[in-house]
Amino acid sequence: MTDVTGHTPSEASMRQVTIFLCLIVLTVLFLLPVFGVLLSSIKTTQEISQGELWSWPSAFYLGNYVEALSNPAVQIYFLNTLLITVPATFASITLGTLGGYVFSKLPFKGNNFIFLVIISGMFFPPQVILIPLFKLFNALGLLDTLWPMIIVHTGMGIPICTLLMRNFFAGVPNALREAAILEGSNELHFLLRVALPLSLPAIAVLATLQFTWIWNDFLWPLIFTQSDDKRTIMLGIAFLKGQYSVAWGIQGALSLVASLPTFLIFLFFQRYFIKGMTMGAVKG
Amino acid sequence: MAAVELSNVKKSFGSVSIIQGIDLTVNHGEFVVFVGPSGCGKSTLLRLIAGLEKVSAGSIKIDGEDVTHRAPAKRGVAMVFQSYALFPHMTVADNISFGLRLAGQPRAEIDRKVNRVADTLQLTPLLQRRPKQLSGGQRQRVAIGRAIIRDPKVFLFDEPLSNLDAALRSQMRIEIAKLHEDLQATMIYVTHDQVEAMTLADRIVVLNGGRIEQVGTPMELYAKPQNRFVAGFIGSPKMNFITGKHVSKGKLAAVQLSEVAFPITIPLDKVKGKNVTLGFRPEDISLDKSNRVPLGKARLLVQEQLGSETLGYYQFEGMQELLVMKHHRSVNLQRGNPVMVYAKAEAVHLFDDAGQRIN
Repeated sequence: MTDVTGHTPSEASMRQVTIFLCLIVLTVLFLLPVFGVLLSSIKTTQEISQGELWSWPSAFYLGNYVEALSNPAVQIYFLNTLLITVPATFASITLGTLGGYVFSKLPFKGNNFIFLVIISGMFFPPQVILIPLFKLFNALGLLDTLWPMIIVHTGMGIPICTLLMRNFFAGVPNALREAAILEGSNELHFLLRVALPLSLPAIAVLATLQFTWIWNDFLWPLIFTQSDDKRTIMLGIAFLKGQYSVAWGIQGALSLVASLPTFLIFLFFQRYFIKGMTMGAVKG
Repeated sequence: MAAVELSNVKKSFGSVSIIQGIDLTVNHGEFVVFVGPSGCGKSTLLRLIAGLEKVSAGSIKIDGEDVTHRAPAKRGVAMVFQSYALFPHMTVADNISFGLRLAGQPRAEIDRKVNRVADTLQLTPLLQRRPKQLSGGQRQRVAIGRAIIRDPKVFLFDEPLSNLDAALRSQMRIEIAKLHEDLQATMIYVTHDQVEAMTLADRIVVLNGGRIEQVGTPMELYAKPQNRFVAGFIGSPKMNFITGKHVSKGKLAAVQLSEVAFPITIPLDKVKGKNVTLGFRPEDISLDKSNRVPLGKARLLVQEQLGSETLGYYQFEGMQELLVMKHHRSVNLQRGNPVMVYAKAEAVHLFDDAGQRIN
């Protein structure tokens, strides 16, 4: 007897076991470095310098966490990262939503071309635009402020936000818009009251992606900032070392603490995220 | 003053002309149905009246006011869509009151109106549900409710029953007819289903290729279609057509079919030298010759027993045409030998080469 895919039950279960094993191997590969960092973060500096990376700590030492979080510079790193991530995430999603709405619901002459131009922004690696942007922000006198990161992340987020929102809005029936317009709604009202509430999965996906990407960014703050009080958390971790030694334990503790916000954002949006990833897969 | 007045309304999308100059007047309280095959422009015409499409030429008046360039919400029309177009994240009450809330009406006033509409449409127990928790018929009633609550000058229905199954469709048809009776409102209804058109309409507008083929009451269209298109479109099963060449029969004409000449009571000069198409409704032809004229021999191909009646499909001998004939339900049709088919001479519809009615 075969199932709908033409496999016998034993073949099907073999396939499942193989897939399951592959997933376990991948999970271990991804989590192993995190586990290594976790081990380092609960060891004393002395223990780290003596022992192996993977050895079990002799005592559960939380001093690294206390030291990292009580450092005033670290608190500034967190604040800076938040001041960049929240407005850039909000701005890129807002602009992408407006663009996506226009491209899907209010087509105009040449809209496909302009859409393509916007989307092509995704294809340029940051290294290509690095020097021109540096020169631009230098000319504007914005170097060593948080503005370059906010502006660059907003700009670089617009293509993916526009693409995703346009595709999502395309799935919102035109009849809904027309019904709303006949009832006296204008485009903005329809977008805010009808299209956006229906697009929560897409917004959640974008919020998670953008927040994670901007929060974890290392390159742009490295290029655009110099002062310690303008650094972001990822940059701060890298610079958190003594003149002659590397503070592995504190760095490990800070790395884990620094990844908490993205983890929480993911947990918060998770149910929408899963829904968003499968949206449009089946007729609903 | 007419409720809706269309003057030489045209609509093109790029170089494609969809509506080719429509003049039409819809009176107050009238139920007018636009009917026609797919792509005939009936939905486009409705959308032009609603303001969802801009006219390429011509003018539209509603209640005597020129609304050609007015925003949809300011035309005093309400529309019911084929897909219901209900807002999925809102409750039934919120869907119905969407327009009123938008207009900033007081909460108490909105509640009172919602309750009244819900009562009319038997939606009261469903007011707090969301659209996905409703059946197709209930959803369509909510969509109608959203239209009623605004008390529009004109109701526009765009194939509202197409998504429903046959039983529900016939039930909703009755509800819409009753609604029209109760509200005495002007309604324009688009459908491709000619049964809906015949049963609901005060007047039917038959559209084809962006033009009006004929406007009339259902029975006018059925009894006296102005052209072959209308004759074929209105009526189910559709009218039978047989084409033959005219022959003289004294001062009058006759149409020569494969075996017989069918006499027609119109002056000879009207059809001289032309092909003539005879049209017969399925109930006007029979195997019984009493008071009827022979059409020719035909062979039974298929019979459909519908319970109340039986439809017989026949192939004429020596001709391409298929005939459909309505029989009494108790008839026992035999396939095999050809049988003579007879028709009522006075029931014939005659069309010329161009498909225009000539009798």
